[in-house]
Amino acid sequence: MAPRRRRRSKDFLDIANSLRRDVDESVVTALRQAAVQIMNELADAGPGYSGEFSSAWYAVPPGGSPGSNRSTGRVYGYGDESDVKYDLRNVPKSKFKKLKKSTYYEIVNGMDYAPQALDLEPGEFVQPEDDPLKDPVNRGERTGDFRYEVVGNEPEGAVSTAKANWYNTYSSGGALSKSFEQGVKLGFRQAAKSRGGGFR
Amino acid sequence: MDYQAIRAAVEQPLLNAFNALSPAVPVFFDNITAAPKNTTTEYVRVNLTFGITNEPTLTGSVDYARGALVVQVFTEKGQGPARNQTLLNTAVNVLETLNATAKTGSGVFFRVSEIKGPVFAANETSPHFIGRIDTGYKATVLS
Repeated sequence: MAPRRRRRSKDFLDIANSLRRDVDESVVTALRQAAVQIMNELADAGPGYSGEFSSAWYAVPPGGSPGSNRSTGRVYGYGDESDVKYDLRNVPKSKFKKLKKSTYYEIVNGMDYAPQALDLEPGEFVQPEDDPLKDPVNRGERTGDFRYEVVGNEPEGAVSTAKANWYNTYSSGGALSKSFEQGVKLGFRQAAKSRGGGFR
Repeated sequence: MDYQAIRAAVEQPLLNAFNALSPAVPVFFDNITAAPKNTTTEYVRVNLTFGITNEPTLTGSVDYARGALVVQVFTEKGQGPARNQTLLNTAVNVLETLNATAKTGSGVFFRVSEIKGPVFAANETSPHFIGRIDTGYKATVLS
């Protein structure tokens, strides 16, 4: 091969490798941003009594373990009651390395009572003395073993701070896919800005 | 948008199916307090929630809603899962029939997505063994 042609071929490979790195980085940023968006919306939609549950959302690779609550006494999310929200620091880049075609991530809550808070399983509920951080959606008499089974609209009594089946409504009612789409768009835009070009 | 028509499109067939069993099994829908606490009588609870309404689509349909459907079956604890699963079958058959129903010119076109579950749970305080399925749905109000 002539030297000039060899150089051209090397240049082309360099460009291709550089492009692949840029695309990988953009995909990782987009996924992380989508995870942040979803975690904030889950925190918004879900119950918030002490703030522990809302602060315990994690994006983990398959088989990864989530941590526990990040804080108490503060509600995460975008909502009126929220005084803190998730950001990219809560979804470390290091956990999104080695992306492959079939790689997936799970957004999970690390609290041991998550199945009850997600309205997936019954439980035994104890009413704390303190008032909840979030405004109750209902307060009064507890009528069953699921989190939301509270009736009465009374000023005191058992408290529910999220609508019944809030998690299913979020995940199956269209909000999750919309959030993912918005997060990915935002992520690609951020990735482009951080490098000063591409994917705008 | 006719939310009540959407609700009826799935609640009515479920009610009819459980009423047709012998003996009929009571079904409780949203905003109806289910059987008294600690009763051991079997029953079914159906919760339908609305998520996004009139999301822009390529079809141009504006009477369009998405949401979640949760069916929980409460049967006697300590008697094995058979009865619970039989009742869950009834619910799943209704949903499959709905999905197989052809689109007509009026009414509600209702489709459920994949059905998650069944998952089973029982806790110490409840006298029931609980079976649960849930799914997302898309409904279009026609005419």
